[in-house]
Amino acid sequence: MAESLLAALVLAPGLAFSGLGLAWLAGYTPHERLIARLTAAVYSFCVVAAAAGWAIGSNTAAVRTPVWYWFQAGSYHFEISLLADRLSWPLIELTAVLVGLTGVFSVRYLHRDRGYFRFFLLLHLFAFAALLTLAAGTFDLLAAGWELVGVSSVLLIAFFDERREPVRNAVRLFAYYRVSGLGLLLAIYLLHRLEHTTEAAKLFRGPWPDDAALMSASAATLVGLLLVMAAAGKAAQFPFSGWLPRAMEGPTPSSAIFYGAISVHLGAYLLLRAEPVLRASGVAAWTCTVVGLLTAALATLVHRASVDAKTSLAYAGMAQLGIIFAEIGLGFPRLALVHVMGHAVVRTLQFLRAPSMLHDYHRVHAAAGGELGRTGAHYHHLLPERFRLALYRAALERGYLDAWLSRYVTGPVLSFGEALESWETGERQGTAGEPSRLAGEPEG
Amino acid sequence: MFRVDLFSLTSAGAYLLLVFITLAAAPRKDLVDSRQKWQLWWVGPGTLLAYSAGSPWVFLAGWIISVVPLCLDTATGRASRLVLASSSVPLALAFAAPASPAAFLLLVLAAAMRKGIFPFHFWIPKAFEAGPLPVLNLFLNGHLGAFLLIRFAAPMFPEPAREYLSVLGVFATVTSVLGALTALGTRQPRRILALLCGSQAAMILAGLENANAQGVTGALLHWWVVAFSTSALLAVYRALEARSTETAALNGFLGFGFHAPRLAVFFAIAAAALVGVPGTLGFAAEDLLFHGSLDSHPLFGVGLPLATAFNAVTAFNLFARLFLGRRGIHVPRIADALPRERWALTMSTAVLVAGGVFPHVFAALRAPAANEIAALLTGR
Repeated sequence: MAESLLAALVLAPGLAFSGLGLAWLAGYTPHERLIARLTAAVYSFCVVAAAAGWAIGSNTAAVRTPVWYWFQAGSYHFEISLLADRLSWPLIELTAVLVGLTGVFSVRYLHRDRGYFRFFLLLHLFAFAALLTLAAGTFDLLAAGWELVGVSSVLLIAFFDERREPVRNAVRLFAYYRVSGLGLLLAIYLLHRLEHTTEAAKLFRGPWPDDAALMSASAATLVGLLLVMAAAGKAAQFPFSGWLPRAMEGPTPSSAIFYGAISVHLGAYLLLRAEPVLRASGVAAWTCTVVGLLTAALATLVHRASVDAKTSLAYAGMAQLGIIFAEIGLGFPRLALVHVMGHAVVRTLQFLRAPSMLHDYHRVHAAAGGELGRTGAHYHHLLPERFRLALYRAALERGYLDAWLSRYVTGPVLSFGEALESWETGERQGTAGEPSRLAGEPEG
Repeated sequence: MFRVDLFSLTSAGAYLLLVFITLAAAPRKDLVDSRQKWQLWWVGPGTLLAYSAGSPWVFLAGWIISVVPLCLDTATGRASRLVLASSSVPLALAFAAPASPAAFLLLVLAAAMRKGIFPFHFWIPKAFEAGPLPVLNLFLNGHLGAFLLIRFAAPMFPEPAREYLSVLGVFATVTSVLGALTALGTRQPRRILALLCGSQAAMILAGLENANAQGVTGALLHWWVVAFSTSALLAVYRALEARSTETAALNGFLGFGFHAPRLAVFFAIAAAALVGVPGTLGFAAEDLLFHGSLDSHPLFGVGLPLATAFNAVTAFNLFARLFLGRRGIHVPRIADALPRERWALTMSTAVLVAGGVFPHVFAALRAPAANEIAALLTGR
């Protein structure tokens, strides 16, 4: 029964997405009211099904569906199964609740917007992908959901497609996702090659979080490092943190659900699911901790120097995610799970209230009878003036990360591509009209 | 003289569907153009003849018939015509003297020339610059270079194939990565599409040389992915070209999605399939292909996922430049997908999405041929 509920709640948003998409392709665009009702129905069902499944399955360590080979060739199998345990049930329930709430919020927020239908179509795709990722019993299936989360995410960043900046940022984020996603792809390949399976139940012995990895330390190091790379890309951790503020170009509800609540936390979820691998490899665990702490320090600085609400919130969220990464690396998975849940809820509320933030700000200050001091300001005076200015400048430049990546990574790759093209065509690229650089790259 | 089995039947069936999609989605001015009309009449039947070939000479006839129209068309460029015309020579020599030690090498050379493998990779973007897109689409998506290796080169010369086919795999991987990198620095949409097609199509040969079932099955599935997705991409792009003159160079964002949202969606789905997004046949094909390649070449095999990642960025960038970023009076008013275009593009999308949901059905159709090749290459 719990297995059926789990499968049904994952499939429900997928069916909503397919139904709406097919209807549109056939020439019928559903009315706003119908979309609103469908959204309410789908996520009410998901919330109830997740609660019921969790309650029914609570007497067992994990609810699992049988493993099924989606496709196979020779000795290779793409394994599919669903799994819900102490780690995934709370996050599945949280996702269903937050997507549902954001959907209800968006019904009024996007009323009569040209992209109303498109927003809900992509919201259903995202919910399906996120639930698939969280309920995946194999890393093969997790990768499929992971990738679809990325696709829905970039399409929502380009939601206001009449402006160039959101579109450029969507392309840039897509590049980050694809490159960091190579980590997950290679980690899964190594699991197939070394362990002959990607099924969590076979890779790890015992119930989460007391499970143990059944692999050698060297294999765990390789797989662990690649997973940290993939997770860092999804969770906007160092050195992939430059995309998060750019992702704020989408509509506020999508920023809330993607970059406040669910999408960025999937990086943490991946590491929590693979936490026994990190535990088996000191190198991977320390890398995870260092990445998290570096990001937390950098994001705190940038957050304090940001002048617009959504960027400030993005960096505040990034700092918390850095701490979550450090908690996972240091071996506190329960604490990290609680941190993820609490952070997702608070950040969703903050993002959804972001358009009213100035109003809130004035109201709070008026109620306090004067301006409230900034927290942590006394630390500023402990630092020498010159150092403070240097830090402030670094914060304004977002830690120089974007500039560093452009100069040493994306810039040389694009220049090499342009050189190849010039060599083949005999024409110099990027000189006439609009430069040929990627939409997300600096031009001129 | 003729050989009909599951491999040739499925290849020919998919190709016939591709011909229908190409013809149904082509702009009217392409179909009434007498030059393109006769080219289409040669390329399609020539490819089908090659698919049905049991004897090398029938295959050679199909190869030449399909290549003649492009060799005679000045729009495809001198260098491209030279490579394509020359590709028949090593093929004929190898079939004429199969006992020669160089025969296998000549067959591989012919396949590399036709498929635009490094150092012959330049002819595809050159031909796309001004060549007839529907004809080029049917020519490239016949994938006769891969068919030649599967049907003739490997079975006729199993020993050399076991020894030296991996060299072709290396060249194919280099082609794929080079094409992906070049596409990042390109401004002309036609060249970008050519480089995307060439880079992704080179992976078919890279996968074929893997001496394992997953790599070969992945390559054979990827054959269909490339065929159906690039057909849809080229059809949508040609439809835009026929409707507006703004497509010649990607000078900023064109915003065609505002008036043509269905063309935008068809383009997006085809591009997603080409770069292996889940929910399309491309995901299963590339999953198998990458695992096969990494199994055969643990370090060099990383080239294929890397090239796909670059191609994904290029494809999304092209989509964004063509369909997003502009609105209202700034966007030329163009017609969305016409009914016949819609039917054709829906068919292509349906194949790609059905393959994404039921990849095992598609894999089963390719499995016998894949197992046969893998067995030949492993000597078991």
